[in-house]
Amino acid sequence: MTSLTQAPETGTAAPTPPRSDETVRTNRLARFTPYGLVGPALLAFAVVLGYPMVRLVWLSVQDFGPRSLFTGEAPFVGLGNFTRVLGDSDFWAVLLRTLIVSVACVAALMVIGFLLASLLRQVSSWARVMLSVCLVLVWAMPMVSASMIWRWLFEPQYGVLNWVLTQLKVFGDFSAHDWFGSPGQALFLIIALIVWKGLPFVALTLYAAMGQIPDDLYEAAGLDGAGRWSMARHVTLPILGPVLAVLVLLEVIWSVNSFTPFWVLTQGGPDGGTTTLGVYSYLEAFTRNDYGGGAAIAIITVILLAALAVLYVRRLFAQGEVTG
Amino acid sequence: MRNKRAVPNTIAVLVSLVVIFPVYWMFATALKQPGKILSATPEFIPWPISLDNFHTALTHGSFLHYVRNSLLVSVSTVLIALVVALGASIALARFRFLGRRAFLIGLVLVQMVPGSAMVIPLYLMLRSVGAIDFVPGLIITYMTFVLPFTIWTLRGFVHGIPLELEEAAMVDGCGRFGAFWHIQLPLLAPGIVATSIFAFISAWDDYLFAYVFLKSQSNYTLPVWLVSFQTSDGIDNGATIAASAIFSLPVLVVFLLVQRRLVGGMTSGAVKG
Repeated sequence: MTSLTQAPETGTAAPTPPRSDETVRTNRLARFTPYGLVGPALLAFAVVLGYPMVRLVWLSVQDFGPRSLFTGEAPFVGLGNFTRVLGDSDFWAVLLRTLIVSVACVAALMVIGFLLASLLRQVSSWARVMLSVCLVLVWAMPMVSASMIWRWLFEPQYGVLNWVLTQLKVFGDFSAHDWFGSPGQALFLIIALIVWKGLPFVALTLYAAMGQIPDDLYEAAGLDGAGRWSMARHVTLPILGPVLAVLVLLEVIWSVNSFTPFWVLTQGGPDGGTTTLGVYSYLEAFTRNDYGGGAAIAIITVILLAALAVLYVRRLFAQGEVTG
Repeated sequence: MRNKRAVPNTIAVLVSLVVIFPVYWMFATALKQPGKILSATPEFIPWPISLDNFHTALTHGSFLHYVRNSLLVSVSTVLIALVVALGASIALARFRFLGRRAFLIGLVLVQMVPGSAMVIPLYLMLRSVGAIDFVPGLIITYMTFVLPFTIWTLRGFVHGIPLELEEAAMVDGCGRFGAFWHIQLPLLAPGIVATSIFAFISAWDDYLFAYVFLKSQSNYTLPVWLVSFQTSDGIDNGATIAASAIFSLPVLVVFLLVQRRLVGGMTSGAVKG
């Protein structure tokens, strides 16, 4: 298998140079070139990813508490951590909450993202530039800053969005409204933050994908009497299918992995009411000092995500984005 | 035509306003006079402009220290990642070798592992070598997400360089390394710049690892400093928001610049022309 696919040395397209000793030597050398090039990366991966992952798995079968931090010794407990975690009703509440957050985020991202992408295709170029610049700026906002801003926007006394909501007179009086006092409302704000931050990527990706759809299809559909809605339904959506699928997979994974907005805004509270899997494993390990339990929760999360990740990889390779 | 676009254009203006508002509000709040920030009826235009909030933010803790820590960690991470990734990305894009597919799959999968899962073993790992609360120790943890990203993205850029150019150089008598040095590398430069900037931003933005691994205040990176405003008693909203603005501004500017560069096809004309 060690051959140069696209490499030009022995390429047929190029005129073959006279075969000297030197080219023979380079060919032999070339066989090992890819390994030499990948070697450092493999080594680095072994240290920064391989070892920690093995350690994570190993931790999950150990009773690793605060004492183990100092002695370095931790008793082997088999699947004890897993049975304990799975037997805890908190875990199932957290899992359910994670699913709800994830589904809400992804659904909102897809629907709003699709609408924004369609909007970008219909507007004049000045409006398109304006809207895309706004989207790119939101995309670039660091998550830590965005979370701090979010808290300020919804600050009970002086939050500007509380004021706006009150002025709208549709939802009632929001002056002195503490969003972070109730888990449901706090979760709603966190979801809104994740959607706001994630929207540019989805909208711009869909916009680019829509640009690939030939105009003839819309013209043909128009001749057949299709309106705007049925064009979107019968032309745009089916063609965008694969892109949408990839976006959904990525966004589910990213929303489950999300940590910073939760931690900065609520630290999982009030009363654990906004704790999702990432925060839960963190709390278990670093607040309750149960590193084994935290590792078990992390591994359960990875296993749940693995199925989606595998689907994503298959899509990626199937679409020829990566030449396997 | 005019009429047909009037409605979507109006919607686009409204949507832009809504989407950008939090970013605008960050700068507007930061630029207000400290006394005007807490007003029952919000003032939407910061006037007269005042830099007092920035002053308060910059004198909270030792700001320059945190800038140095953040830069040190992010720049080192990106440089190390680039050196390691360049070879790997060329190998993946230009050679077919045993284990290539597995490597590619691993590269994608590894990026799906949550940071909150990696943080536990990394903590114990760094602890056992005494690298907790040691700023350069963070570089190792940032490699976990910067390295796979860098290899993956660079691979795409290498793939985008037409093979014909290298072939032509080699027909003209360049060796493989010569072709790389004279042809591939210059064409790859914009891709390397773009990749490094994205990688830099992801390290610059990290909160989780820095929060877990850095204990003493003098070792904070900027994100940890930023969040520390909130928990220290007596929240000064103006200073907090000014700090967020200081932290975000370079990223916003750079991102806008790079975004353009990524969109422009880099070598598309090279072969046809």
